[in-house]
Amino acid sequence: MADNSQALEPVLNYVNASLSYLYHSFLSIPGSSILIRYVRSSYQNDPLRTLLEIILLLFALRTILQSRTRADRAAKNYVQLSESEIDELVDDWVPEPLVAPLSPAEQAQLNALPIISGPAGPKVKLMQSGKTVLNLTSYNFAGLAGNEHIKEQAIGALRKYGVGSCGPPGFYGTIDVHMQLEQDLANFLGSESAIIYSQAFSTASSVIPAFCKRGDIIVADRGVSFALQKGIQISRTTVRWYDHNDLASLEEVLVSVEKEMKKKRAPLTRRFIVSEGVFENDGQMVDLPKLIELKQKFKYRLVLDESISFGSVGRTGRGLTELYNVPATHIDMLVGSMATGLNSAGGFCAGSHVVTEHQRDNGTAFVFSAALPALLAVSASEAIGILRDNPGCLRELVENVRVVRGVLDRLECIEIPSHPASPLIHIYVRNSPATLEVPNGIARKTNKSKPNSLVPADPDVFDIESEERLLQDVVDEALAQGVLISRVKRLRGQEALEPRPSIKIAVTAGLSRKETEKAAGVIRAALLKVLGKRR
Amino acid sequence: MAFPTSSGSSLFKLSKKSSQRFTPSAQEYLASLKAADDDALAREQARSHSPTPARESYAHTTGTNYAPSIASTPALSFASTAASTISTPTTHAAQLEEDDDPLLVPDTPPTSNDPPPTALHSEFGYCNNEQYRYTSSYRPGTSLLPQHQDPPMTILLATYISYLFLIAIGHMRDFFGKRFWPAYYKHLQPADGYAALNGDFDSFYTRRLKLRIVDCFSRPVTGVPGRTILMYNRVSPDFNVTFKLTGQLTRALNVSSYNYLGFAQATGGVADAADESIRRYGLSALGPRLEAGTQDLHQAAEALVARFLGMEDAMVVSMGFATNSTTLPAMVSRGSLVISDEYNHASIRTGVRLSGASVRLFKHNDMSSLEQILRESISQGQPRTHRPWKKILVVVEGLYSMEGTFIDLPGLMELKKRYHFYLYIDEAHSIGAIGPHGRGVCDYFGVDPREVNILMGTFTKSFGAAGGYIAGNKVLIDRLRTINHSFAYAESVSPPVLTQLTAAMASIMGVAPPLPPAAVGAPGTLIPASAPYVHPGPAPASILPQWMHLPPLLLSGQEGATRLRRLAFNSRYLSQGLRKLGFIIYGHRDSPIVPLLIFNPGKMPVFSRLMLAANTHPNAVPFVVVIVAYPATPLITSRVRFCMSASHTKADVDRLLRACDKVGDLLDLKHGIPKGERWTVEEVVDRAVELVKME
Repeated sequence: MADNSQALEPVLNYVNASLSYLYHSFLSIPGSSILIRYVRSSYQNDPLRTLLEIILLLFALRTILQSRTRADRAAKNYVQLSESEIDELVDDWVPEPLVAPLSPAEQAQLNALPIISGPAGPKVKLMQSGKTVLNLTSYNFAGLAGNEHIKEQAIGALRKYGVGSCGPPGFYGTIDVHMQLEQDLANFLGSESAIIYSQAFSTASSVIPAFCKRGDIIVADRGVSFALQKGIQISRTTVRWYDHNDLASLEEVLVSVEKEMKKKRAPLTRRFIVSEGVFENDGQMVDLPKLIELKQKFKYRLVLDESISFGSVGRTGRGLTELYNVPATHIDMLVGSMATGLNSAGGFCAGSHVVTEHQRDNGTAFVFSAALPALLAVSASEAIGILRDNPGCLRELVENVRVVRGVLDRLECIEIPSHPASPLIHIYVRNSPATLEVPNGIARKTNKSKPNSLVPADPDVFDIESEERLLQDVVDEALAQGVLISRVKRLRGQEALEPRPSIKIAVTAGLSRKETEKAAGVIRAALLKVLGKRR
Repeated sequence: MAFPTSSGSSLFKLSKKSSQRFTPSAQEYLASLKAADDDALAREQARSHSPTPARESYAHTTGTNYAPSIASTPALSFASTAASTISTPTTHAAQLEEDDDPLLVPDTPPTSNDPPPTALHSEFGYCNNEQYRYTSSYRPGTSLLPQHQDPPMTILLATYISYLFLIAIGHMRDFFGKRFWPAYYKHLQPADGYAALNGDFDSFYTRRLKLRIVDCFSRPVTGVPGRTILMYNRVSPDFNVTFKLTGQLTRALNVSSYNYLGFAQATGGVADAADESIRRYGLSALGPRLEAGTQDLHQAAEALVARFLGMEDAMVVSMGFATNSTTLPAMVSRGSLVISDEYNHASIRTGVRLSGASVRLFKHNDMSSLEQILRESISQGQPRTHRPWKKILVVVEGLYSMEGTFIDLPGLMELKKRYHFYLYIDEAHSIGAIGPHGRGVCDYFGVDPREVNILMGTFTKSFGAAGGYIAGNKVLIDRLRTINHSFAYAESVSPPVLTQLTAAMASIMGVAPPLPPAAVGAPGTLIPASAPYVHPGPAPASILPQWMHLPPLLLSGQEGATRLRRLAFNSRYLSQGLRKLGFIIYGHRDSPIVPLLIFNPGKMPVFSRLMLAANTHPNAVPFVVVIVAYPATPLITSRVRFCMSASHTKADVDRLLRACDKVGDLLDLKHGIPKGERWTVEEVVDRAVELVKME
């Protein structure tokens, strides 16, 4: 033993010497004494703490050194494989086909899509049959399609600007007509400013993630359109859902969120209510004054998608704000479409300067996309001018909506969920004639829906396949009689909550009252023929 | 043809005649707008004076054009100025111009022997010298790895210090600002129970760094984004927080727009076709494709795109961004893996995020990095469960818009044979711009496009239109038609846009009949010898709408072929020339996107402003340039990005090289090659043809 310790002595001495050398050189670093004092005092108070801190430090170092892409390799269940094993696995791997081929039925449906030969408008010539039919499916609410004045102005713009803008707005794609259109939109709506996007669908799904970040709260309607769903999805915000177009449910959700936040003592975050003016999915209309009252009471910001209602609702087409006589400044982000209401292309978001300027740097679809072609911006500006100056065209629209509803409302084989004033009319197949359900379904909620889940407490029960087949028969029958309507095409499996199959009628001021009456009659006859047979 | 073909010089005066033709409508337009406008705007207009007649300032009046004194213009509101200036025909100012303005009149006007010009010189430059042509195709053996040259340490250090300095100053300004000028920070603070829409930390970069140079972005323009562009002069009374238009316009050489083949034109055969289509079809298809928003024009365009690319089928979408973001979710979903280049565009990232698929990134254009990831992901399978991936989609871009690099397609195709992944190439910038026939990277590398599963591209760039396409086999495209978001919910492509792209594409391909396919492709067009792939021939006349009548030069494909060869020459000349001058240039030599590295954040705005001011040397013309910095690029490698176009003449590129040479000396940007190997700018200009042929 003694021999052993003697043999070890020089080693121990060496270790001792080098340790004391390290200690002294550590002391010579300025500020090291503070660290030592800190460690000492903390050790006195709590010996475990030092250990914990060292572990924490090591952990932090590990996290920093570990690159993100290599996380898989470090993961516990990474399987170490030899090169030849990998080769074998590579050889064996058979990927699924990129997409599943269409079934014959789907192919037939795709091939049967109506193709318009020549201009789209209230009366269109179909390529397949060569017949001219009345068009009640295209968005042409104010009847601006084919307007000669707009066409002339567009040609003027073409001859000055060419077609494409050849660049994103940040890089010489901001053309004077874009600034003019933004100003026109803001003036028309009475908001502070507006920003335009080059596709309506991408507007909503870009506006939401520009403001709503992780940790923020969105309270959204269960029936919002696909574009809004995608915007909500990509924003990665905490979402709470309220029953479709049920503001009592909204209030409950707002109260529950408030409670939850208080309980968690969560810091103040951005909170948004997301809804639509006229819902694209069923034509219901939101009670805007009540919605604004709630938003102000609970201090939320409101994202209102007026893609359908802008250019179609209100005395001059300003949308719900005009219908309910609410200042547009009460809506923080008013999203709209220039493709539906103005028969041009693109979308917009109107709001305060802070809101629009923020999007110029952070709206992905704005920053990373080429600007709207100048001639389409000019035609949108012109369309606004026409709406503003001729309230008559929307009076005709209101009249035509009344005509269609007059013909269809009393039918027993269908349900119409749409608001009586909505120019977009959806038609459901009525399941059983016994249950006369109120479309606005506020009354008979037995149990409450969970705000965390997208599925409402008592979801509508319907058989997608059979209803779609019936509705398609109605569409085909109407087309045979000279009226073009369409079954609403849904991306089944991709929608957050499967919407009920429906037929969509977009009433237009482009048709006279008589023509509308005739078309509605044809649709009624087709509905009776197909759905009446069923029973 | 819209033009008299008697003599060239008369054409360049045509602008005045054409201005008279359009002025009344423009004035009517304004009058109706004004009359109808509501009180607010009317009041604003009453307050402001009408702007001084737009007198374009050029190099001859250097200095005054860049920073006009604020006193000379009354306080105009932004909006009212925009409204009034629309009425000012751009060509009105041209009447006041001297006849020898190089932006409006060719340096060497055509003689009676030359073929007459077919376009306005301001939109599409006249260049008749057959020497200034080149064919864009891959030379086997050229390295495709990104050659990213590092700057000297001093520059690197200075750049980091600059950023530190900017950040420190920014925080100081915030610190004092919040205490002394709280009103400016109100919208960044929680107020009245609402959280700030935009936190002061989140917006720090925008407020304290970008704001300093924001005058170099989003400059308002008017007219055609062709060879030249008209820019509104603006001044900022409050350090770039707001801008006021002075009412004056500057015509500048445009080396920034994505106008590779120069089809951004308001005159000529393609524009005439678009004009006709507005008369016939109006402006909108009035709905999504799947709900009666399909017109015969859409079908024609899709057939033509498929034919152009040599694919079985294609579909068109109304927005380039949405082409990626709404179709990627239709192809991949949870359980699939997307392997994406680290520099892929935001639209791809959006699409992948929406799809729910897993994502892994590989190093930019580095095939060994990709292979390593492929081996690892196939062998490991899905995380945790180790189940095999349902499918693997590799997403790359043909030409990277910030780097100027081409995808290493030969390397990628080899990997594809081995690893059975699906390949998605985003050709937003490469389609129409590269390859001997303009068919993009497949054409450039001589790869059969049908070996690629999905070709995606946009019409905004080379075709002067808007929107994008997806091409693939019929099974794929038919399925995508039924399940992509845009077809079900978004507006379909507008008729004039469709016509523009159809006409432009047809004129690149040539149309047969009436002319036999042999006439397509100018002499000198060569296909790489090893290529097993023969590009698809001219467009069958039956695809095009009956009413579309293109002029003979476009029908024969001659014009398209010339444009391709001019673009190839210009791109290579600029890229090689700048390298010879000593700049650090990224990307491949055939790329029409030429990034010039600046590094230092302080030099970026100065570069942009100097190029626009055009006062570095006599006879300089103004240039509009694009500067890009973080977050679009890595923090350190701020750059200027030039986009070449077929519409530029050799003289235009000479001007650009001269201007860069001067500014480069001034800003100390030449760190690419040692002094001894550099050429003088005169040497570069004189030996241009030789330079272009060099490797």
